[in-house]
Amino acid sequence: MKARGWLLLVLGALLVTPWLLPDYALEVAIQALILALFATAFNLVFAETGLLSFGHAAFFGAGAYTTALLLQRAGWPYLLTLPAAVVVAGLLALVIGFFSVRTSRIYFTMLTLAFAQLVWAVVHKWYSFTGGDNGITGLHPGALWGDARALYYLALVLFALGLAFVWRLHHAPFGYALRAIRDNQARAEAVGLSPFGYLLAAFTLSGALAGAAGFLQVAWQRSAFPDFLYWTKSAEAIIAAILGGAEAIFGPALGSLVFVELGAFVQSRTEHWPLVLGLVLLALVLFLPQGLAGLGGRRARD
Amino acid sequence: MDPSFVILQFLTGLAYASSLFLLAVGLSLIFGALGIVNFAHGSFYMLGAYLLYWVLRGNPEGLWWGLVVVAALGFAIGATTERLLLRPVYNRPEHYQILLTYALLLVIEDGVKLLFGAAYKSLGPPASLAYPVWVFGAPFPAYYFVQIALALVVAGGLWFFLQRTRTGTLVRAATQDREMLEALGVNVPRLLTVVFALGIALATLGGAATLPMQTVSPGIAVEAVISAFIVVVVGGLGSVWGALLGAFLIGEIQAFGVLVLPEFAIAFVYLLMVVVLLVRPWGLLGRPPAVRT
Repeated sequence: MKARGWLLLVLGALLVTPWLLPDYALEVAIQALILALFATAFNLVFAETGLLSFGHAAFFGAGAYTTALLLQRAGWPYLLTLPAAVVVAGLLALVIGFFSVRTSRIYFTMLTLAFAQLVWAVVHKWYSFTGGDNGITGLHPGALWGDARALYYLALVLFALGLAFVWRLHHAPFGYALRAIRDNQARAEAVGLSPFGYLLAAFTLSGALAGAAGFLQVAWQRSAFPDFLYWTKSAEAIIAAILGGAEAIFGPALGSLVFVELGAFVQSRTEHWPLVLGLVLLALVLFLPQGLAGLGGRRARD
Repeated sequence: MDPSFVILQFLTGLAYASSLFLLAVGLSLIFGALGIVNFAHGSFYMLGAYLLYWVLRGNPEGLWWGLVVVAALGFAIGATTERLLLRPVYNRPEHYQILLTYALLLVIEDGVKLLFGAAYKSLGPPASLAYPVWVFGAPFPAYYFVQIALALVVAGGLWFFLQRTRTGTLVRAATQDREMLEALGVNVPRLLTVVFALGIALATLGGAATLPMQTVSPGIAVEAVISAFIVVVVGGLGSVWGALLGAFLIGEIQAFGVLVLPEFAIAFVYLLMVVVLLVRPWGLLGRPPAVRT
């Protein structure tokens, strides 16, 4: 009951937020929601299977470019590009996952990194189709989605759906199977689970969800850039997930909120945000191994 | 294609491969012995270039001793980093180690901006090397031969160190079984400090050695570390000769790729990385992982 009370409180706060914040803070809040969706998507693979993907920027970027290209070339209404973005990102994840989930540990990380960089290199240079390193700019997602409050609620709905989806998977037999494979692959196989199918399904769903975050990013920035697919974008999701606590279902979202809000705060005072972030992460790794969620968890357990 | 042009292109690729080798071989050694994927490796490479600029005060004439000083500084910085930051996370899951080295990447990149400014820095070769060598009637920068020679000297030195000295033998043993080494009474933590410091010294040396031919900015770090990953993945994580072969292949693919399909030369390189990981995940010259019991 207590957990439900907290959930309602957070939900209520998230719903009234756009009416309390000034314009700039609202833009920051939207960015936090987008990263929260992206990091939650990444964490679906990371937390449930233990595989650290360094290639999720490719799925984020695939979603973003699908939306951007459909807006620019085909004049689709913004919302209709969502299913397309999710499907394209999911298909890309299916292909990359098909080759990657068989490998283990560091090789999985390196292979997802290599695939994502390959996609980045193509997008970065394919001027006639993706605009190359100029990206696709000057997009108009429509009058409604140009309004920051409307975009905030859209991002909130998608994030909530994404989180609910991940929560549902976590408690479904599918989630139990993934964790069984993570903890002991040989034993999982012995009881008849096929690791390849489960891991590929999880990776594909995670990629599709990351595509939805890319879809939102396009409306927020009214542009798509190759940077969306660069490896440092994947690192953002990883940082947010571990900062918040990858073991908690809301950990990546919490980490995203802190990451984006702290970034906006520091950037308004100094241009040395990367230095501050680096020091925060060093402190986190050395002194707070469970992430921010671990703070509350430890207290609750005491 | 005109053969002299092909040779020039080959030499250019070789010069690029030389700095790739210096950059990547330390990453490979560190992964082999410490089991850590150092995302900050490109940052130390970038830092090396800035340190050289700082040590020489922008005057290229003292290049030789400048390189020695930078490598020594790199060794000291590497040893300190290992003792203070890496040692506490050896027994933690991989993603903490990755996050830690990524944090280092951010700190070094922004720290360099804070200390040296965000502007590009360039040095130019010393006067004794600032002339072209004529190769089959075409000009080729003399300094490139210095870079190639430096890489060969380092490769030879590493071979001697790893194969012919006691510490080198212990380093090779550490890549195979750290626990056994500890059980035999070897001071493994000190050995790992040496390996990390050596890897960082090589990265800073590599970065410093490119400064006379290239302008540097703090942003080169994130590109450099990815290039280093490609080299060691292709050559084999943990293998010195793999790093040499990987650097050679990547350097030449870049040099000739720009002739065939200039837009997508870099995509070829990533494609090679993907193919190697799929077909031979432990790399061309790496050892397949032993079956764990």
